[in-house]
Amino acid sequence: MTRRAWLTLCAFVLPLAAQQFQFHLEHLAAKASDAVDLSLNGPTLQFAAKFLDGDDPDEARVKKLITSIDGIYIKHFEFKREGAYSPADVESVRSQLKAPEWSRIVGISSAEDGENAEVYVRAENKKISGVAIIATAPKDLTVVNIVGPVDMDALAELSGHFGLPHLKESKPTRRM
Amino acid sequence: MDWLEQELKVALERKAPSAGFAERVRAAARAPQRRWWKPRPWMAAAAMLLVAFGSFEYREYRGRQAKQRVLLALRITAVKLHYIQQHARGSSEVHQ
Amino acid sequence: MTVLEQAGPQGASATLDFGGLVEEHQSMVFSVAYHFLHDRAAAEEVAQEVFLSLHKHLADLQSTAHAAFWLRRVAVQRSLDEARRRKRRPQVPLEAVPEPVARPAGAAPGDPLLGATLRRLVASLPEAPRAVMILRYQEDLDPSQIAEILRMPVGTVKSHLQRSLALLREKLQRRGVGEFGWTG
Repeated sequence: MTRRAWLTLCAFVLPLAAQQFQFHLEHLAAKASDAVDLSLNGPTLQFAAKFLDGDDPDEARVKKLITSIDGIYIKHFEFKREGAYSPADVESVRSQLKAPEWSRIVGISSAEDGENAEVYVRAENKKISGVAIIATAPKDLTVVNIVGPVDMDALAELSGHFGLPHLKESKPTRRM
Repeated sequence: MDWLEQELKVALERKAPSAGFAERVRAAARAPQRRWWKPRPWMAAAAMLLVAFGSFEYREYRGRQAKQRVLLALRITAVKLHYIQQHARGSSEVHQ
Repeated sequence: MTVLEQAGPQGASATLDFGGLVEEHQSMVFSVAYHFLHDRAAAEEVAQEVFLSLHKHLADLQSTAHAAFWLRRVAVQRSLDEARRRKRRPQVPLEAVPEPVARPAGAAPGDPLLGATLRRLVASLPEAPRAVMILRYQEDLDPSQIAEILRMPVGTVKSHLQRSLALLREKLQRRGVGEFGWTG
């Protein structure tokens, strides 16, 4: 391979090295009424950790969690109307998580409110090296990639302990 | 007074400034007061302190920003995990 | 009697002629700065600053004698400030100074080369002794008057004088310059 080809390959590969799969969801931002796009690499997490209050139980918990994490990448969209994103959008992410290193550990499907959620774990050398979450609802879509040796217990503990301003959860919608 | 002191008296006799000095001073005194900014070491030190303080403040600002982003990221994650955990315990279809 | 006591209040209504004060004291102020800084251009700048400051504070001064006292004090202060800003203590590489010519015994003082050497040596003294030497030998003030201007104890003034003279003598003797000029 020529030097130029290697450099071109590296240009594509290196940005991916932080995030463990591509989200391919940028096109949804224009349709969203609200969008969150967070790319927090290791240095950013370590920098932020310095500003977390160790005396605050929630922040202390977060601080402990992120010290071992190499990155957190999130795309979250909320839409005014249903159908703003397509199943193909979700599949473009899900298909990447069918790679051998990924395993789906939980999948929730709620016919009542039309919400679905899946948790994937990436393993390397029998150790967790990443977590992926895909959560869909009629009017919102969330994809999360946590990179690194994630403490799953600590991660699971997050829910129910945060004193952060409430993120509006998708209210259950009745299928008509 | 010994010889050295006498020599010093001569050596340190008053000397006149350049011609027109007095007129220049009077003219300057009549002119509107202008601040002649001469670089002063304390100004440089103050500027450096301001920059350092500004850098510190900016770092603090960036740190608070980073912290809020991290908390938001984990909040979003926590909400989704909470939903998953709730439904995993409940009657919704669960695939494992 | 101190200088201020000598000056004595002459009434707040006494008006001081700024132009007249400049004419009368320009050499004094300039020379304090010049002997302190050993730089004519810098000395003129400092001197101008001193007089502009005088112009600002004219109403605070009570007499011409008070003005003279004030000018001496401010001239020294501004010269000191300038010297610190320039962060330069004139280095006197005596090797670069031409040898003073022999002065026959009994001849009047005033060898120009010796004078130049002495000016450079004085300008190379530490700031406080330098100011003392200038006020002593340029202005012919006694230690108590110098102490008042510099806000320094009289004992300190005398100590500076003694040490500075001893230092100058030593430096001159090393160069072979003594009471009768070149001692060969």
